[in-house]
Amino acid sequence: MPEALDGAAVRRPARPHGRIGTWFDHHLYSFVASLGRVARRPWSTALTIGVMAVALALPIGLWLAMANVARFSGDVQRAREISVFLKTDVDAAGAQVLARTLRARPDIGGVQLRTPAQGLAELRANGLGAAIDAVGADDNPLPSVLVVTPRGDEALLAASLQALPEADLVQHDALWRQRLDGWLRFGMRVALVLGALLGLGALLVVGNTVRLDIQSRREEIGVLQHLGATDGFIRRPFLYLGLWYGLASGALAIALLTFAANALDAPLAELAASYGSRFMLQGLDVVAAVAVVAGAALLGWLGAGLVAGHYLRQTRPTET
Amino acid sequence: MSVLRFDNVSKQYPGGHVALADVSFEVQPGEMLFVTGHSGAGKSTLLKLIHLSERPSRGAVLFGERNLRKVRRGRVPLHRREVGVVFQDHRLLTDRSVYDNVALPLILRGMRRGEIGKRVRSVLDKLGLSERERALPTQLSAGEQQRVGIARAVVAEPALLVADEPTGNLDPTLSAEIMALFASLPERGTSVLVASHDLGLVKRMKKRVLVLDHGQLADDIAPEDLADA
Repeated sequence: MPEALDGAAVRRPARPHGRIGTWFDHHLYSFVASLGRVARRPWSTALTIGVMAVALALPIGLWLAMANVARFSGDVQRAREISVFLKTDVDAAGAQVLARTLRARPDIGGVQLRTPAQGLAELRANGLGAAIDAVGADDNPLPSVLVVTPRGDEALLAASLQALPEADLVQHDALWRQRLDGWLRFGMRVALVLGALLGLGALLVVGNTVRLDIQSRREEIGVLQHLGATDGFIRRPFLYLGLWYGLASGALAIALLTFAANALDAPLAELAASYGSRFMLQGLDVVAAVAVVAGAALLGWLGAGLVAGHYLRQTRPTET
Repeated sequence: MSVLRFDNVSKQYPGGHVALADVSFEVQPGEMLFVTGHSGAGKSTLLKLIHLSERPSRGAVLFGERNLRKVRRGRVPLHRREVGVVFQDHRLLTDRSVYDNVALPLILRGMRRGEIGKRVRSVLDKLGLSERERALPTQLSAGEQQRVGIARAVVAEPALLVADEPTGNLDPTLSAEIMALFASLPERGTSVLVASHDLGLVKRMKKRVLVLDHGQLADDIAPEDLADA
């Protein structure tokens, strides 16, 4: 049964129904009231939702961009061979022996030997045949090259390969990958910070909108308090209002990101194709999209709750 | 048992202003009475104490057996549901229909929708507002608006109805009509306490009158003594 006070005066006539029925009725009342408020001010509602959606879309878009770059760099990192250029006095047999020795090491996944003849053939295949003929190819100046696939810490392996007496030059692209990883980590952090700041912005946007709504309904709230409405009853329509703002802005943010992804997809695919890649932009999956909408709804609910709670604390009846 | 009892109640606001000083009186079930006095005499403070918008500085306000001084803040709304209030400016929700306004106290009490419909229509019928059920308050005359305010105050059949200058904005004919409505409520068991500074109106009603003067209960006049007052 709904709550009642002890020691009531003579009459207690209005017969309430069960607690669940009352709870349901009160929520239905708030639900309808909040939808009515949204419908009565379509432009103001659209503006609020639009601002919130952009505030949400920006950090999510940045995070998505970073995730795509990370995915792309992941593809690059899979081909992370270390090239060991041997000294010219190491002959083919010596190179073979060294390759076998290296294959036995636990920090090496594989070793491929490129002989000077293979190197020359590759250069010819790349259209440099005429130039090679012009300088004379009788004495092949190219060294043997071991293409080493690491298994574990590449930088450590590269250093140990450099220390080999047969090695002339070790070519390893660790530095740019480390820099890229650094940029990616930084980008992700920027996305997180932006997300927090713009999330706070979205919270404030809802809060301010609800505050204006409360200001325009001060008299109504006063009347409800005089009639015996609890803080919860008064707060509830505002919470629903915040929830609608959050849900709609989350959905709009996803729509904006989908639109942006569609606009960028074709030119990016074209660019990737020119580098021989089949890279495609990856957007939010269903779970992430639902999480974004739910998070936005929570932000809206929270913003409305904070502002409505603050107002109600200021207008509470006197203390005992 | 009385519906309402003031036992040596004083109210001093922060800043030192004494709004009520040592006021004592009782209201019996089904009784209608007036509180009158000049502006600032303490009428509004007295109503605020009943409605728990303020707490007494000293003394006790008893609503039935309930000592209002001891009602915890979170329980104030529950108390307010048992006291009907009529305001001078009726304070109707302008974006809700007459029906929705009158239904509000019943919604707050958690009544079933079917029961709410029956009660609201019954009260609207008694107050001559049946035809205006779907109208918005802004579409009503001043007298009709005040009747809606009264309907809202009595629909939950409270033990006590308090009215603060309910005829302040009405012409004499409408004032008499509204007062006749109040006078009919005690027949249904609701006690009625009306604050008014309109002495002529108060005298014509021939009901008990509490006279406040600078926060003190200067007189408690029985209906039969009104002619001499």
